Amino acid sequence: MAIELESARYRYAGSGSAALGPIELRVEPGRVLGVAGANESGKSTLCVVAAGVAPAVIGGKLDGSVRIDGVDAATLRPHELAQRCGLLFQHAHTQLSHTTATVFEEVAFGPCNLGLPVAEVAERVWWALGAVGVEGLAPRDPARLSGGQGQLVALASVLALRPKYLILDEPTSELDPAGTRLIADALVRVAAETGAGILLVEHKLDVLAHIADEVVVLERGSVALVGQAAAVLADPRLAELGVEPPAGVRLERAVRDSGVEWTASMSESIR
Amino acid sequence: MGLLRRWVARQFTTRVIVLMPVAIAINIVLGYTVQSGLKLPIYVDSIGTILVGVLGGPLPGMFTGALSDLIWQYAPGIGPGSQIGPFAITAAVIGLLAGLWGQLGLFRPRRGHALNTAAAVVAVVLIGAMALYTYSRAFSSPDQFANAAFKDPSAFDQSRFFFLVVMAVFVVLVGWALVLRRDVGAVFAISAGLFTGIVAAVVSAPIYAFFYGGLSGSGTDAIVAAFRAGGDSLYQSTLKQGLLSDPIDKMITTFVVFFLVGSLSRRFVARFPNGEKLIGPDAEPDAEPEAEPAGEAS
Amino acid sequence: MTPPSLAPTAAGFGLPDYVTRRPSGFYRSLNPATKLAVAALEVVAAFTISGWLGPALVLATLAATAAGSRTLRGLMVVGLAALPLVVSIMVVNLFLLPGASDPIAHVGPLAPTWSGLRFGLLTAARLLAFSSAVALAYLTTPVDDLLADMSRRGLGRRGVFVVGAAVQMVPRTIERVGEIMDAQRARGMDTEGRIWRRARGVVPLAAPVVFGALAEVEERTMALESRAFTAPGRQTLLRTPPDRTIDSVLRWLALAGVLAIVALRLTGRIG
Repeated sequence: MAIELESARYRYAGSGSAALGPIELRVEPGRVLGVAGANESGKSTLCVVAAGVAPAVIGGKLDGSVRIDGVDAATLRPHELAQRCGLLFQHAHTQLSHTTATVFEEVAFGPCNLGLPVAEVAERVWWALGAVGVEGLAPRDPARLSGGQGQLVALASVLALRPKYLILDEPTSELDPAGTRLIADALVRVAAETGAGILLVEHKLDVLAHIADEVVVLERGSVALVGQAAAVLADPRLAELGVEPPAGVRLERAVRDSGVEWTASMSESIR
Repeated sequence: MGLLRRWVARQFTTRVIVLMPVAIAINIVLGYTVQSGLKLPIYVDSIGTILVGVLGGPLPGMFTGALSDLIWQYAPGIGPGSQIGPFAITAAVIGLLAGLWGQLGLFRPRRGHALNTAAAVVAVVLIGAMALYTYSRAFSSPDQFANAAFKDPSAFDQSRFFFLVVMAVFVVLVGWALVLRRDVGAVFAISAGLFTGIVAAVVSAPIYAFFYGGLSGSGTDAIVAAFRAGGDSLYQSTLKQGLLSDPIDKMITTFVVFFLVGSLSRRFVARFPNGEKLIGPDAEPDAEPEAEPAGEAS
Repeated sequence: MTPPSLAPTAAGFGLPDYVTRRPSGFYRSLNPATKLAVAALEVVAAFTISGWLGPALVLATLAATAAGSRTLRGLMVVGLAALPLVVSIMVVNLFLLPGASDPIAHVGPLAPTWSGLRFGLLTAARLLAFSSAVALAYLTTPVDDLLADMSRRGLGRRGVFVVGAAVQMVPRTIERVGEIMDAQRARGMDTEGRIWRRARGVVPLAAPVVFGALAEVEERTMALESRAFTAPGRQTLLRTPPDRTIDSVLRWLALAGVLAIVALRLTGRIG
């Protein structure tokens, strides 16, 4: 059971060349797969393809196959995809429905769209708010939240649909370090409580260093590096792929270059 | 009936549904800013309507127009007091026409081939003739729009003057577009704007006259007053003022929308219901998209 | 996905009361459709009953209702905002009513007429009656309630989204325009001054607003689909304004009133 991309190639509608592929990838339940890469390397495209949104919602041409728990994503309608893969983007504001007055109703938007009974909607909303840790925000106006709070609410909104996988496209890119920490911790909590498989695209590799199990580095739409998080993030080839290593790795290199020995307790203390 | 249902469904894709509130907000905010902030004697409250019509089709355009005028009353901060509600009918017509123009491919970029240029010249002649006819009829008799005889030579002169003013604006806009983009398609778009403006004036004159006595509390009232001083009836003076303001406003609006659509990336436009009709066959395919909407960069 | 092992949290169970809140006051708690029906009756009365009776009756009713529902101040704001239009109507009709021949005085070349004065006052009264009737309806009805009620009566989720989102997006767009105008003023753009300069200022103002708004369309579309927006069937309504007997009664009365007024007008009794 996983999201599997096999020989997947994708071209946007109206575009001349493929933005992604050919690519092989697996997202497993209970694991966090980090994705890094330079700009234009296909990270965002990977997100929409893995979620089935491309081509179901935005058109374009997909070659190869994308299977979610064994089912071909091309056979699923967008609302069915939404209940299997939750998708989150960078801008908290564009993910609001803009039709609700409270965070509670905002998180309820998805379940209400499915036509679930009121009792079940309420139950799902409280559960999602709890899973992300934002019950206190329930009475607030969604339009007046800070960036970090908005992203947490967006995460809860997507969780309310009980997806088995979560795909996040640079969710912390517009957030300050405090907000980034909020999201990272929330993802850890969600992964633990729900056993969801998470695909996390991040520019801030510190986040990946913190929570990813495996990391994939993309270059021009294909996989350039893949492996365990610690190993990939310390790989010297990151620089030529246009990716800046996380702070911990840079610190370690700087310390080693200056001739001081780097010990395990030092690694522990910067986590 | 299945065909009708499909025609309707085709126009209301999720993307169009998402575009509509954005367009409505653009209408309301730009209209309000231009009318009260910059205090210009044009309306500029239809950019969103025409954009949705051109990209999505007649029905989304119609609803965008109508809802913009109805929601204006609800808009916090600029809502209370705005006397816009009854104009939902005119706005709906504008959106409907814009959908027609989109489906006819009038907003497509066209290079200066001989065939395109000839078609453009024909369009200009047609629209000019139509405008001349409309103006002469509107101005020919003090009470009835339907009277064809030029009874009063001075009235005819009046009509000729306003016709010339409007056509001058038309020529300026077209010339500007040709200089900026060498795109003969601009001629079609702006002609469509002229037509839309004339229709809008005719449709809104009775509404204006009935609900507001032809006045709006803004600078255009001076024009209405001038016509009244010349002896025109309520309805007639309203119509004449409309025939001056509306075509100019709609030509400017379609000019803006034409450039707007031309500046959007092919990727963005292609996914709308009218998308295929807006991408010229002779436009360069983009390997590197230009004005790229955020969220697709990597 | 692991079923939630948590019991309903202390934070909440079922729908919180800020979702199911009801407005206070007799008029405010009426069903939105009822308030619209009453407004329609008032508008018809103002324009169809000829002479002063129509507008006078309507304005008196409105004043009473507004006092009762604590919206008097809102109505005064509406009235004030209509002032330029009222002044314009008075001035133009006073001096330039076509066919008027009963001058009040001769002030140089100008000759204000009694019929002009009468007509101006009547038009202004009608206008105020009409806009106040509509204003009262929307001042006493939050958009959410209106949309919830229309939803219950069959308005699809797409209509609800378009209206709700538009209303929420207007303030945000206004802020953006304000920011852009400030930035441009700092760069020397004229917001007063001659027409030509102001006209030139429109494009650099409109372009960023429009492009910024359009840039979000793609992401918003995907976000909506990711919340099952296009799921089939009817969406669950968390909150529905009640529709009581008094609402039905008032609506029937309003309909009867409209028909009666139109009939009386057509048969020449009141016009």
